[in-house]
Amino acid sequence: MRNARRARLVLTMLLLTAFTLITLDYRSGALGGVRKVASAVFGPIEDGINAVVQPIGSWFSGLGHLGTYKHENETLHRQVAKLQTQLRLNATEHQEYLQEQKLLHLAGLAQYTSVAARVTAYGGAFGFESTVAIDRGSDNGIQRNETVISGAGLVGRVVSVGPHTATVQLANDSEFTVGARLSTGTLAVASVTGEGRGEPMSLTLLENTVRLAVGQQLVTFSSGPGGPFVPEVPVGTITRVTPASGQVAQSASVRPFVNFSSLDVVAVVVHSPKTIPHDALLPKSPTPAPTVTVTVTATPGAPTTPPGTPTGTGTPADTSTNTATNRSRTP
Amino acid sequence: MTAQRIALRVAVVVTVVLLQVCLINRMRLPLGAPDLLVVVVVAFALIGGSQRGAVLGFLAGLTADVLPPTHHYAGELAFAYTVIGYLAGMLDAGEESSVLTIITVVAGASVGVVLLYAGLGDLLGNARITAGATLHALAGTVVYDVVLAPFVVPLVSAAARRLEPVGSR
Repeated sequence: MRNARRARLVLTMLLLTAFTLITLDYRSGALGGVRKVASAVFGPIEDGINAVVQPIGSWFSGLGHLGTYKHENETLHRQVAKLQTQLRLNATEHQEYLQEQKLLHLAGLAQYTSVAARVTAYGGAFGFESTVAIDRGSDNGIQRNETVISGAGLVGRVVSVGPHTATVQLANDSEFTVGARLSTGTLAVASVTGEGRGEPMSLTLLENTVRLAVGQQLVTFSSGPGGPFVPEVPVGTITRVTPASGQVAQSASVRPFVNFSSLDVVAVVVHSPKTIPHDALLPKSPTPAPTVTVTVTATPGAPTTPPGTPTGTGTPADTSTNTATNRSRTP
Repeated sequence: MTAQRIALRVAVVVTVVLLQVCLINRMRLPLGAPDLLVVVVVAFALIGGSQRGAVLGFLAGLTADVLPPTHHYAGELAFAYTVIGYLAGMLDAGEESSVLTIITVVAGASVGVVLLYAGLGDLLGNARITAGATLHALAGTVVYDVVLAPFVVPLVSAAARRLEPVGSR
């Protein structure tokens, strides 16, 4: 009986402690420090474990998706056939699309300074949460709220940072919302929200002058420098428009460009540009790249050596004549 | 409870949480993922009683609350696992539990821990807690935990018995 009473006392104390922690964290985020310490201690361990288990995990993951892969393969075959026909039909339209894609990419890669990181651990909380840990942190210049991207587009945002680790809230997390605009040039700003793992994201557009259509692409929109997201990062494609008659808001489903279940390497944008590249989509003349100097350094000395320097002229001259003869022989 | 015992428990709990975030969650199994932590808490509670179950549940939940990556208020999981550890400990019969008992208790504990976390999260305004998401979480967690339980619970119990004989309680 004494034991039971003591157990109840312990339970009460522990629950009170838990409530105190929740209250502190809720009111002021006072436990950020504890999180920082935890990530400082456990981040490197997670990196180490990740190096070992990554192949195992991928294997298991592949096993789990075996059926999906088979189905996906079929679907992809059909899609390829369909796309090939489409490609022939509207080659010009496709060209435009490719250019747009490239420009979006340029906007991302040329103007943003980013830190590449590897995903080391996956959050869960019974599947409610969609978060990952990455192996770069404040020591690498990463700060809270910074945008995380991958080659495909928007991955998420940094929600907490340790010295060598950061936690990223993925864009498909239900508490994730980002401002986005249609990539077609119309400046209608919609909000795109995650709907949980494996679900398409949802879009709300508080405007009725712009019509949403399936296939339209979305990029992030930033209200200004220092905003939570860097602008012009590809988010996803509209897959379904919910018909809304006589309503002010329009809504749609968005399939994200990024596959959140197979993230490996991501990039954290650590410096957003000073000005928003609003017209990044417009066919601006690209800055001329340094082109000529490359060939000169490839064969140093051979033709340009001033007379009177005898050393080192032998081999480059030989190679150049070799290539010349090769070239003349080929046709 | 001595400092050494606490350290031992922390080590066990940290290992389990690391396994969860680095390996289990990575697998992206259909339906969801097992929650190894609740199985381990039940295993400890079944041989240690409600007080030890509550303490281990608290340590387990708090570790899962702060070990990256997480994005909820610290203490939420600690609350849920403490209650589950305490309740599971009340079933401590002082003898070897049958497989059926283990499966039943783990299933109940899995349901309980998900519902407690979801309820608390809902109170705190967590937008992730919807009826659909909760059902999804329940399905995945319970099914996989029940599969894991017959293997994990005896293993953990045996290890716990060896490390700290029941008589010393």
